[in-house]
Amino acid sequence: MDPSTTAPRSGLLGLFDNPYDEEGFRTCSVTGLNIHRSVENYVKLFGLTAVVALLVGGIAAIFVAMTRWELVSLTSAPDFYNWLSVHAWNLLIFWMVFMEIGILYVGGPMVLGRKLPTPSLAKTGWIVMLGSAVWINVELFTTSAPDSAPLLTSYAPLPSSAGFYLGTIVFILGTIIAALPFLISIWQEKTEHPNRSLPLVSFGAFITAIVALEALIGGLITYVPTYLWRIGIVEHIDAAWYRQMYWIIGHGSQQINLLAMITVWYFLTHVVGGAEVVSEKVSRTAFILYLFFINMGAAHHLMADPALATVWKEWNTSYAVYGAVIASMIHAFAIPAGLEAGRRKRGQGKGLFSWLMSAPWKDPVFSSVIFGIILFGFLGGITGVIMGQMQLNLTWHNTFATVGHFHATVVLGTTITFMGLVYFVIRLLFRRKLFLKPLAQLQPYFYAGTMSLTTLMMLYLGILYGIPRRHPSVTDIPGTEFDFAAAEPLFWVFGVAAILAITGGALFILVAVGSLLFGEPTDPSSLVPAVEPVEDDDTSLHAQSVRGTFTLTLVFLAVFVVTYVLNWYLLSRLWHIG
Amino acid sequence: MSSPLKPQTDNWWDVPVHWDEKVWIGISVFWALVLFGWMTAWGSIGNQTQEGPTYQVSPNAFQTKIDSFKARAEETDRGFRPAGSDVYIAGMRYGFDGLPVVLKAGKEYDFHLSSYDVQHGFGVRPNDALSKQMTLQLLPGYEWVLPMTFDEPGTYHVVCNEFCGVGHRTMHAKFIVEK
Repeated sequence: MDPSTTAPRSGLLGLFDNPYDEEGFRTCSVTGLNIHRSVENYVKLFGLTAVVALLVGGIAAIFVAMTRWELVSLTSAPDFYNWLSVHAWNLLIFWMVFMEIGILYVGGPMVLGRKLPTPSLAKTGWIVMLGSAVWINVELFTTSAPDSAPLLTSYAPLPSSAGFYLGTIVFILGTIIAALPFLISIWQEKTEHPNRSLPLVSFGAFITAIVALEALIGGLITYVPTYLWRIGIVEHIDAAWYRQMYWIIGHGSQQINLLAMITVWYFLTHVVGGAEVVSEKVSRTAFILYLFFINMGAAHHLMADPALATVWKEWNTSYAVYGAVIASMIHAFAIPAGLEAGRRKRGQGKGLFSWLMSAPWKDPVFSSVIFGIILFGFLGGITGVIMGQMQLNLTWHNTFATVGHFHATVVLGTTITFMGLVYFVIRLLFRRKLFLKPLAQLQPYFYAGTMSLTTLMMLYLGILYGIPRRHPSVTDIPGTEFDFAAAEPLFWVFGVAAILAITGGALFILVAVGSLLFGEPTDPSSLVPAVEPVEDDDTSLHAQSVRGTFTLTLVFLAVFVVTYVLNWYLLSRLWHIG
Repeated sequence: MSSPLKPQTDNWWDVPVHWDEKVWIGISVFWALVLFGWMTAWGSIGNQTQEGPTYQVSPNAFQTKIDSFKARAEETDRGFRPAGSDVYIAGMRYGFDGLPVVLKAGKEYDFHLSSYDVQHGFGVRPNDALSKQMTLQLLPGYEWVLPMTFDEPGTYHVVCNEFCGVGHRTMHAKFIVEK
């Protein structure tokens, strides 16, 4: 081992001790990126914090899933709602948002080879975010009457604790502060190089940041008046107003996940799979479509609402949002096509799918990303479009199937992708070998498999049995003879799959934390093959076939059409409505 | 082709797009139009579109309407038999005021839906066919008038499926559809 590439462990377990030159830069031996210490350290800091949130939310998952599986019935109703709130906030918000700030720093200054501008803002942002995240968790754990557990939505006029609303406002402000160094780095880049386009990954991160700011401003519009109402300064809060404002951030925050995840897909398929961009024009246009249309996706929460006109519903969830659906379908083609063309160019596959079969499936970064892409598309994307159709939403709204949809997007898509990114950061930024390597290789397969089964059961329970979400018991309901006991067999499958999936999540934490504590420091080029430089070549693309990708996307379309037709069939069996 | 990590200095906009990718974009646009067209058309050709007027109403005013609805209805041991074709239902923690009602199969009723306190859900299914279910949102301050016609007689079960407090899971009701 070359001693110049491995730093001795010093303070903080040596986690922040990479070798840098006099100006604080180092060149990554795998990606060739010119990385400054300031960027790298904050990416590590935000990433580590995110993993802690994942752990807290994962522990809460045990209590949530094992209460819904009524064979176990782990907690009482009030405790269930508190755990459900902790589960939602730590996984849907804290795990995601801390990762996403890290992703902005990777996509901005790290890819651009710049220092992190104003590291003091990054530090301030991190402290404010961490402090308010801890505060919100305390509020969630200690909720008691007359306040109700906020869950994710804190639907007014049902009151949550005043501290919860205030903590949320502070967290939003902290996130905006933490995002500023990224925006400044983009501004610096464009000032210095006004005539060159950002790299695609930076461009994706930039669009992510804009969508994020829109969501965060929506959050302030929601939570500041709600807080004032809760402490008695504002007398009345309108439920319809709250819903419409809330979903700007409620769904907007999940669209940050979507854009950050897609940016990471372009990044990681390139560095671990040899993917290239087949068309800058198409991929960038797809990001622009998101910028204009993805916000409308939030409207699908309001399809079963009074107080909104049919035209408003149809415009926002269909005509406008399909701008975003088309964007997703473009990325669904462009990313695998980039992998296929890039690998074919290097001679890594001649048959229809041999470029994919020959890919580094034993690398948990690669397998995580590919599972994320496939499962997000097939389970998350399709269900999202279906439940966003105005009438179909009647049969999805507030059932367990809704929960299935966002586990397909946020867990099977984003969380699995981000786990892959954490494995990548451990090796390339922390420069550690993965601890328990065979387990690390197995983890993405085990987690993706068991979590997919869990998610499918949520979808089936919701659609085929009408199981409501947010209920601690449905097979034994106090005060009525009616129950959903017919669904018990599926709850068995759900319960067992959920236990296995939580185990899969725990394996991830074990490998990630174990690698940092016990992983051998090493130069990452001994772990991951260096990325071959891409020659910008306009003609070479057409020499490469993307038939494999085309075939895969046709399979995707077929599943989409069949699922769509089945859902309309189920709806058509209902009585006359409207 | 290019690297996603490198700044672009050439004119990437004019680089031709792969034929397969163009076809896929065409398919995507077409599919989006189908999705939009079918949803819009279902308002005319289908029987399920949640379209009806909404009025602002205070919880007290709506409670007066419910009381009047009950007073005019025939009270049976199975529930209220509405005098006309209007049915008034309000969600409240933790029950549904106005239910149970007894309705005639095949007759169109205007459901007037609201809430007395917080947000609730109006999830309905026949007792013996759990997959035939739908949900509407009930909001305090708003009265949603939605026509519904039930062709199949039987007992229909109503579940609150919007979280409304620790007693949420106990918030159930029913109505009966007779021949």
